[in-house]
Amino acid sequence: MSYVSLENSEGFLKCFEVIAEDKSCIVSDSVLYFSGKTGKGFITVAGIHTGIEVLAVNLSQLTDDLTIRFQPSSDAASYILHFDEIEVPNKGDNDVPVNTVGTPAEKGHSVVSIADAARGKTIVYPRERMIRSLVVRVRKASLDHLIKDFDAGTIGAILDSPDSPASLTWPITFKYRLLLNDFMAEIVQHPFRELFTIRNVSMLMEYLLQQLFVMQKLSDDGNSLSTQDTRSLSRVEQHLCLHYKTEFPGIEKLSRISAMSPTSLKTKFKRYYGETLFGYYQKNKLEHARKLLDNKVPVKVVATEIGYSNPSHFTLAFKKEYGFSPWHYLNPH
Amino acid sequence: MTMKFQDPDQDIAVKALQWQVLSLPVGLKAAILKGPADRMELTLPNFREEGTTISFINYKGDVRIGTGHRPGDKEQPASPGLGLMTVAGRPMSFRTGAAVPFAALVLFIPRAWAQLFMGANTPFRKIEQQLEEETNIITCRLGRRQLSLLSATLGVTGEPALSLLSLQNNALALLEYFLCNRHRSLLGVNPIADIENEDDLSLIREVESYISEFYCSDTFTVDSILKKTYTSYHRLNFLFKSIHGMTISEYIRNKRIEKSKEMIADNVKSISQIAYEIGYSSISNYILAFKKVYQITPGKYKKQIDSLA
Repeated sequence: MSYVSLENSEGFLKCFEVIAEDKSCIVSDSVLYFSGKTGKGFITVAGIHTGIEVLAVNLSQLTDDLTIRFQPSSDAASYILHFDEIEVPNKGDNDVPVNTVGTPAEKGHSVVSIADAARGKTIVYPRERMIRSLVVRVRKASLDHLIKDFDAGTIGAILDSPDSPASLTWPITFKYRLLLNDFMAEIVQHPFRELFTIRNVSMLMEYLLQQLFVMQKLSDDGNSLSTQDTRSLSRVEQHLCLHYKTEFPGIEKLSRISAMSPTSLKTKFKRYYGETLFGYYQKNKLEHARKLLDNKVPVKVVATEIGYSNPSHFTLAFKKEYGFSPWHYLNPH
Repeated sequence: MTMKFQDPDQDIAVKALQWQVLSLPVGLKAAILKGPADRMELTLPNFREEGTTISFINYKGDVRIGTGHRPGDKEQPASPGLGLMTVAGRPMSFRTGAAVPFAALVLFIPRAWAQLFMGANTPFRKIEQQLEEETNIITCRLGRRQLSLLSATLGVTGEPALSLLSLQNNALALLEYFLCNRHRSLLGVNPIADIENEDDLSLIREVESYISEFYCSDTFTVDSILKKTYTSYHRLNFLFKSIHGMTISEYIRNKRIEKSKEMIADNVKSISQIAYEIGYSSISNYILAFKKVYQITPGKYKKQIDSLA
């Protein structure tokens, strides 16, 4: 176990030295590469000079848990937003739900959370997992305006009240997953790093606010979900996201995964994620297809890649979702 | 710098002509405009600050971009789905003769913001230099993804806070695309080529680097390039011809023969050895190819070199 504390901006960079020594890593140009002995992947920081600090963690095969601790600091009027996706590698089509490791401290859970920096925060990255995580520190002043417009300060009130949990958490959705994927793939190489970072943070904020909005509405209607339900739904969601290349698993399998009845699964999923089970699966699938098309992969290859046996079926589905065919997507002019 | 937020009431404040000017939370300003315009003469909104603007436009019909102060001064035809970057304050206007549906998003980047978020990046400094010295407008064509972002930006409705954020996200994505695209075309400089599409250029660069890596291998074929880049033979050939003036196989042959010429000049290996080493499977093929390029057989060339030495 290793601890790193991040108290202020300088801490972000200083913590690198600590980790580097502890885990025998190479630091170059504010990117920390794990050499393979203690894990694979990288940790990097961005946006230090722009006031919105981002710590990006993209690691796998850690030999030991990595703990990052944000010291509580009274003067820093900021929020810590934390988005992470944690997968068990090589699970494949196994029926066992992926994040059963959810013991205390939400270890091994894929979550979005928001916490007040004044209370500090400890993040534990478990070993032998695939981890993609973004920790964003943003000034309260920046976010409050947006949040207040939204739910008249309820979130702020929850975070500020002394007997509340230290942070609010939700399970992540496929939008976050895609964003995290993209972010990790490009951040090290990107020619405009700060711009890229601020864009992604801004998008995360939008997703977060959308989610807050949904949660607020649910609790207003007296439909808020229990922790148990939230976990079950997130298992289903994760299953749908990971298996986008294969056929839709079918309601029976999903209800087994979630340990809910098919009917209540359907209703709750729709209420929480705003999409039907199949709609959600399909959206995620086509979003992957769109990404491939952006990379100039031909339509035929994309169709097979995301699991269509017939390209015309893919074309139809694509057209239904986006309003134009893949070919028109590639040739807009 | 922190994200700046203004009072929500002030967000939709300034109305310059028909532009709707919004302040985005990150500190940029955006002006949007949409609708059919008949015989318009549209200038960019005045942001009264130092910085750069990027205008993204889309329309159907015939639109001309003027860069002078008076109508008729220095006009150039626009094309639908275009991004135009210029220093704020320089004259730029869009003119149409007839009624056309026209939509535009103008993004204003204050100088301080640009310094903060992009100043540390060398590619941006290059772009800035270009903006100041060579030309006063940098253009870039938008892809489908960008076009749909643009139309989404111009059509946002819903929660006030959310719509402002999503507008900001789309605007930032467009900005990033613009800069990256510019950056890529700066990397692969080829002013002679009249290929407009930046993606095509980057494809050619990719193929070229692939060729220069593998052209000596005897298993190297044009087919393997096609498989690697997911392009058709005809498309690749077309692009190659318009850049290098020769087909892709001619390009590879020239590269091989050039290499062999150097090897002959080195005078270490025999000609048949060289032929095999640069990837020819028969010597007569090699000799024919050499003759085609230099109008002399490799043997004679070797003798010439020897007699000179």
